[in-house]
This record gives sequence, C-alpha cells and structure tokens, in this order.
Amino acid sequence: MTDLQAIRDEWVGVEFESAEFTIDRDRVIAWAEACGETDPRFTDPGNPDFQAHPNFTACLSTGRMMPENFPRIGSGFGIDGGKTVEVHGPVRPGDTLTGRASIHDVYDKTGRSGTMVFVIHRMDFTNQNGELVSTVDSKMIRSR
Amino acid sequence: MILDLHTHSIKSDDGRAKVENYCKWVRKKELPLDGFVLTEHRQFDDTSDYRHLEDEYGLVILKASEVETDYGHVLVFGVNDDLVNSFDFARVDNPLPDVLEAAERCGAFAAPCHPGRRNVGLFAHYERKGPVEGVHTVEVLNGGSIPGEDELSVERAVAHGYRGFGGSDSHIVSRIGYCATDFDDDVRDIDGLVTALRGGRFAPVSFREEEMDRDD
Repeated sequence: MTDLQAIRDEWVGVEFESAEFTIDRDRVIAWAEACGETDPRFTDPGNPDFQAHPNFTACLSTGRMMPENFPRIGSGFGIDGGKTVEVHGPVRPGDTLTGRASIHDVYDKTGRSGTMVFVIHRMDFTNQNGELVSTVDSKMIRSR
Repeated sequence: MILDLHTHSIKSDDGRAKVENYCKWVRKKELPLDGFVLTEHRQFDDTSDYRHLEDEYGLVILKASEVETDYGHVLVFGVNDDLVNSFDFARVDNPLPDVLEAAERCGAFAAPCHPGRRNVGLFAHYERKGPVEGVHTVEVLNGGSIPGEDELSVERAVAHGYRGFGGSDSHIVSRIGYCATDFDDDVRDIDGLVTALRGGRFAPVSFREEEMDRDD
C-alpha cells in the first residue's frame, strides 16, 4: 500500500513548474460569457473596472499536473475532483501572470466507494508587480 | 430541543456550506432546529468562533469531529486537547476500540455514524469482522443515506441494543435539518451535549419528507 505520509513529506510544498501567461482581452470576455456572466465588469472592455472573471485563472495551466517522478497512487484513471479559486486581487487584460505549480496536499478518505486518495495541485499566480492575485487548487482523486 | 448532530462546513474538504449560511437557511425556511453541530472530517476545528452567529440567529452552534476508523466513520462530541493528542484525527484507519476508549477516558462521547452504509458503515464491518465492545449509540438516521441504509441502521441498532440519534450529514446549506435529534433536556454547550447523549434521553427525527414538500 502506498505510504502517503512519505509522499507528503517528500512532495507537499515542492514547486515543480512555472509558466508565464499574458492575459488576452478576447479570451477574458469569452471565458466570462462561457460562464454565463453578465456583469459588465467581466464582459465589457469599456467598463472602467473591466477585469477577468474571478475564476478565469482556472483555465491557465503549465500543462503538467504532477511533478516528474511523482509516485503512482492507486490504479486506473483518476477523477477530476474540481477546482477551488481564491481571489487575492484583480486580473486585467494586458497583465503578465506567473503561475507556479506545486503539490499542496495529499490525503486519503473513505466512503461508499472505498478508500480514495486526493492530490491537491496548487497554482499560485502573481502579476507583473509581484502581487499574488489568484490561487487555484485542483483536486485529483484516485482509488487506492 | 432539536439539534442536527452531523453537519459539515467549508472547513471540511468536501463541505460547501458557510456556517452563517446554515443559520440563514434555518431561519428563512423556519426549520424546527434549535441548533446544529459541526462535525468536520478528520480534524477538530478549535479556532473558529461562532458565538456571534449564535447570538444573531438564536441558534446553538457546537463543534465536534467526524473521524475515520477501521470500522467506519465515527462522530466524536466533546473533543478536547487530551483527545486530540490521543490519536491521529487525520488517519482513515484508526482502530475503533482505541477511539472509543480514548473518548471515554477524555470525557467525550463517540458514536459511529451512518452505520448502515456500504464500506464506511459500522455494520458492514461487523459482517466481516464481528462486533466491537464499547459501542452503545449510533446514528440511525442520516440525511445522506440512500434507500435502505437507514433501515439497515435501525434494524441492526435494535438487534445490538444500541441507542440511536439523527443527523443530516449536510455538506451544502439546503441539506441541514434533513435528520436531527430531539433531546428531552436543554443543550446549550458541548458539555451539555455530552451529558445529554450519555443520559440517553433523546430520539432521532427525520424531516426529509417535509423538506421535500417545502421545496416543491
């Protein structure tokens, strides 16, 4: 059986990849509209407080969800357990964000389906001024 | 006095309900609850202070834990420092006898929840491994149960001579109060709850049908 404590000790908090993202106006609008957003702050570039929808950073990825050499946990395919976005500040078109990926947590829990392992992949986004603007936690679930 | 003994807030990894929103929902829907107990998964939240919400909404809000054992999930009421240091709340395989013994020794009250549930229910483990000494009370009504689970819980609890209580196991606001526990005595704090549970003067109650009618 996988030793989760050993995995936690080795991997939690380790930053394993980073990438830069230039925030494009059209993509910001398209995302907001896809979310069903109608507030002009998120859909109208003419709005004086125009900015990206609060969950916009959920669509930004470095392309890698796990560090290289991260141990395989469980069997079969994983399940997308959803994302949580914490907003620290506005993201606006033209901003350059740096996203840093890390493993935030690894834990297990039991339920009707048996024992499941949860791996929390975290992306912290800072803007061109070095300000933390968004944190996105992606939950991946695997059966043990 | 009616308390929902099993709720989860955003402090739990799978909880989506803010505590104040529970309060608002209880009052807006005029639910017959006098309060609720937050039973966060695999932890004890000793930092949050909800007294201002108790005052604002006139509800009793207490804190407990839902821990995981080799015989399924267990609610622990009256968690204190001694108990927190007795076993690892984050583990999913705590030996049930150890949890029961620690709760007793530390002045808390431990009771398996959703015992009729597959894999994480006490009675599923009983079938494979036999009963455990020290269990005296179980959650026979759980708002998250699928058909047949609560029926099994009630049947087996009666067979084993266990007392039964109820809780919603709510993770979202609209689920609070689906099931609850009606106490003969007033319960105003966690010590009072432990005393009331030990006294056994309570009964499980379900409001699920009424809730569904209300929503319709």
